[in-house]
Amino acid sequence: MNRRTVIKNLALVIGGAALLPSCLHDSGKASIALKKINVSADQEKFLADVAETIIPKTDTSGAKDLNLHLFVLKMVDDCFSKKDQTAFMSGLDKLSKEAENRFGKPFGQCSQSQRESLLNELDHKQAEFYKAQQANKNAKKEVPADDMLAFYAITKGETVFGYTNSKYFMTKQIVWELVPGRYNAYFPVKNLKPNIKHG
Amino acid sequence: MANLNVDSAKQRTYDAIVIGSGMSGGWAAKEFTEKGLNTLMLERGRDVKHNINYPTTNMYPWEFEHRGEVPYDIQQANPVISRCYAFREDAMHFFVKDTEHPYIQDKPFDWIRGYQVGGKSLMWARQTQRWSDYDFEGPARDGFAVDWPIRYKDIAPWYSYVEKFAGISGNKDGLDNLPDGEFLPAFPLNSVENYFSKVVSNNYAGRNVISARCAHLSVPQPIHIQQGRVQCQRRVLCQRGCPFGGYFSANSTTIPWALKTGKLTLRPYSVVQEVIYDDKKGKATGVRIMDAQTKQVIEYYAKVIFVNAAAINTNLVLLNSKSQRFPKGLGNDSGVLGKYVAFHNYSARISAEYDGEMEWTTDGRNPAGGGYIPRFRNVKKQETGFLRGYAAGFSAHRGMDTNSSGVGKNLKENLGHPTLSNWKVGSHMMGETIPKETNTLTLDTTKKDDWGVPLLKFNIAYDDNDAKMKQDYFEQMTEMFTKAGFKNIQTNDSKQAPGLDIHEMGGARMGNDAKTSILNKWNQMHACNNVFVTDGACMTSTSTQNPSLTYMALTARAVDYAVSEMKKGNIA
Ligand SMILES: Cc1cc2nc3c(=O)[nH]c(=O)nc-3n(C[C@H](O)[C@H](O)[C@H](O)COP(=O)(O)OP(=O)(O)OC[C@H]3O[C@@H](n4cnc5c(N)ncnc54)[C@H](O)[C@@H]3O)c2cc1C
Ligand code: SF4
Repeated sequence: MNRRTVIKNLALVIGGAALLPSCLHDSGKASIALKKINVSADQEKFLADVAETIIPKTDTSGAKDLNLHLFVLKMVDDCFSKKDQTAFMSGLDKLSKEAENRFGKPFGQCSQSQRESLLNELDHKQAEFYKAQQANKNAKKEVPADDMLAFYAITKGETVFGYTNSKYFMTKQIVWELVPGRYNAYFPVKNLKPNIKHG
Repeated sequence: MANLNVDSAKQRTYDAIVIGSGMSGGWAAKEFTEKGLNTLMLERGRDVKHNINYPTTNMYPWEFEHRGEVPYDIQQANPVISRCYAFREDAMHFFVKDTEHPYIQDKPFDWIRGYQVGGKSLMWARQTQRWSDYDFEGPARDGFAVDWPIRYKDIAPWYSYVEKFAGISGNKDGLDNLPDGEFLPAFPLNSVENYFSKVVSNNYAGRNVISARCAHLSVPQPIHIQQGRVQCQRRVLCQRGCPFGGYFSANSTTIPWALKTGKLTLRPYSVVQEVIYDDKKGKATGVRIMDAQTKQVIEYYAKVIFVNAAAINTNLVLLNSKSQRFPKGLGNDSGVLGKYVAFHNYSARISAEYDGEMEWTTDGRNPAGGGYIPRFRNVKKQETGFLRGYAAGFSAHRGMDTNSSGVGKNLKENLGHPTLSNWKVGSHMMGETIPKETNTLTLDTTKKDDWGVPLLKFNIAYDDNDAKMKQDYFEQMTEMFTKAGFKNIQTNDSKQAPGLDIHEMGGARMGNDAKTSILNKWNQMHACNNVFVTDGACMTSTSTQNPSLTYMALTARAVDYAVSEMKKGNIA
C-alpha cells in the first residue's frame, strides 16, 4: 500500500462522518482500498447494516455515521490471518442469505427488531463460545470455527472496538485525556466521574 | 597523496570513541565531553532527536490506523519482537524487527533490541533500584560465579551521582537489601497497595512492599530544568518518547547535554564491525565501521574506546575483533568472552481480586506502575533449595467494567456507562538467573549480515534453579495473597524463552582474576587497558534489580577512572 492510500484510508476511518460520496468510486467495489480481501459494494452495504444494528443511530451517532463498517474492513484486511479473513467473507455471505431465508427480504430492509433478533442469537452463541474458551485458558482473539459465528464475532468485536476508540466516543461519550497531569493514589469513589478515561 | 591520508586520518581521530548511544553510551558521552575530551559516538541506527523524532507522541488513540494493534503480517514476519509487550502500533518504530536483523537461535532466545540514537532508553519501563552488598557479595558467598571485584561502597557515590542527574523518584525505605538513593518524591502507593504492604510487613520479617523507584521527574530540580526537562505529566505514554523529558532517556538527557559542550560528534548509521587492535603498538587504536547508508568502510581512531552496544552486541563486537594477539576476540585471553551470559526470569505472574477498600479508587496514572517487593529469599543466608532469589512487582487497580453483551440501543447505552470494577491485584516475578559457562554467544562461521558482521548464535536456556525459584515465587505469593484475603488467585507460567525480560547480561564479565574474567574492577580490559565495557556485558552476576541504573553508575565511574589514567599517562 502506498502512502497516499494509507492517508486516504486514514482520513476515511478517522474522519468519522467524511464518507466518500458513492459517485467517486467504482460502484461494484468497496469504497476503501483493501489489500487482501475482496469486498463488493453489496457486501459492504450488508456489513454497514450489520454494524448499524450493533450500534444504531439514536439521538447520538451510530455505526454508519462513524463509518465503523469501513473500520471493520480495514482491521479484517490488516490484522487478521488469511484463515480468519476467509471465514469472515464466507460468514458474511451466509448470514446475508440466512436473513433472506428467514425474513424473505434483504437484511437491510428488515425491521430493527428482526435484525436484532438474528444478531442476538449469534451473540448468545458467541458468549458461550468465549466462556468455554476461557475455561481452556485459550488466547483471547481466537475466532470461532463456524463461519457465520466467526463473521459475527469479528464484526461485533471490531465495531465495538472502533466505536469505543472513535474520536466521537472518546470526546463526546467519555473524555479521554492525553495529559492528565495528576496521579491521585487515594481517590474517593464518590467523587468519581466514570466518563473520564485514560491509558 | 600520502599527506592527504595523514590529514584524513587526523580528521578521523578523537580522544575517545563510544560505541552505542543508548542508556550506558549516553553516559559515557556526557562524562567524556564534560571532562573536555573530543568524543565520537557511533550509533548503528538513525538519529532520534528529543521531541523532534517522536512521531506518535501526541497522537490520540483514534488517530492510530489500527487503534494500537500491530498488523498481522508484521506480527507473523517478526515473531520474536511481537512477543514484547511494548511492541504496539504507537512505539513499534523504535524496535528492531526480526526480519531486519536476523540471528541464530540454537536455543530460543527472544532478543529485544532498539537500534537508534537513544537505544532502548527510549522504550524502557524506567524501574531503577540500587544493588546492595548482598548482591555484590552473593557469588563469593554461594560460589555460583566469580567474585565481583567491587562492593557496594565502590559504586554507592556513583549511584548518587547518576541519580541526581537522571532524576529518580522513590521513598527512603531504610532497607539493607535495597539501599536508598538520592530521591525525588515517590509516586505513592494506592489504598490496596498500601493495605497489602501492611499485611506483608505484619506477617513476615524482612519482606516489604514499597513504592516502585523510577526514573521520572516527580518534582524536577534545577539541574533537570537546566537539561530542558520539566515535570512528568503522568501521561504514561513514555514508550513513544516524552516531549516533557518527564523520564530519563539518553535522547532527552545525556546526549543533548554532551552535545552542548561542543565536544561530541554523534555519528548515526555507523555499524561498528570491530575494535582495531594494533599488534605492534600493543593497544587498541580505533574502530572499523560500515556506514549503513553508503556501505563505505571507515576507520576511526582514539586513545580510549568504550563499548556500549548493549550486552549482546558488545559481545558480538568483541568476539569479532580478532588480531594476532587476540585470535579469539579482543581481550579474550581467558576464553570466557561470550560465556556466562545470564538474564532475569520474568516468566511468572499471579493475579487476584480484592473486595475491600471499596470506598477508594485512583485518579490519573501512576508512571512508577505501583509497588516493588525487594528480594527476600536467601538474602542473609542460604535457606531454600535454590540459589539466589527474586524481586517482584505488585500493583492494584480498579478498572471500568462494561457490559458489552447483545446488540442495539442497550449495548450502545452500556458502552457509554461503564461501572467501576472491584480491585484487581497482580504481581510478576523478577528472578536472578545463574551465569553458567554453557550459556554462550558465538559467531557463525559462514553467515554474515548486510554490514559484514558474522551472525550471532545463541545457546542460552533456563535451568533447574529457575524452575525451583519460580515454584517458590508461586507458593510464597499465593500465601501472601491468601493472608491478605485476595480472592480468585490465579498463577500464570508464561513459559517464555529467555530474553523477554530484556535484561541480558554477562559475556565480558568483571573479576579480580584475568584468568576467569575479561574486565577488572574499573570495567577496563585486563589485557587491553584502553578498552572499557560498561553495559550489561560487564555484569558478573545479575541480581534481581532492574539493571540499567547500575550500568549508568558503572559507566560514569569508569569514565572518571579512564580520564584520570589518561592524565597520568597510563593510557596513551
Ligand atoms: C520495553 C522495555 C522495558 C525495559 N524496562 C526496564 C526497566 O524498567 N528498568 C531497567 O533498568 N531496564 C529496563 N529495560 C532495559 C534497558 O532498556 C536496558 O538495560 C538498557 O537500555 C541497556 O543500555 P545499553 O546502553 O546497554 O543498551 P541500549 O540502550 O540498547 O543502547 C545500545 C545502542 O548501541 C547501538 N549498537 C548496537 N550495536 C552496535 C554496533 N555494532 N555499532 C554501533 N552501534 C551499535 C544500538 O543501536 C543502541 O542504540 C527495558 C527495555 C525495554 C525494551
Ligand atoms: S508519564 Fe511522564 S515521562 Fe511518561 S510520557 Fe508522561 S509525562 Fe512523559
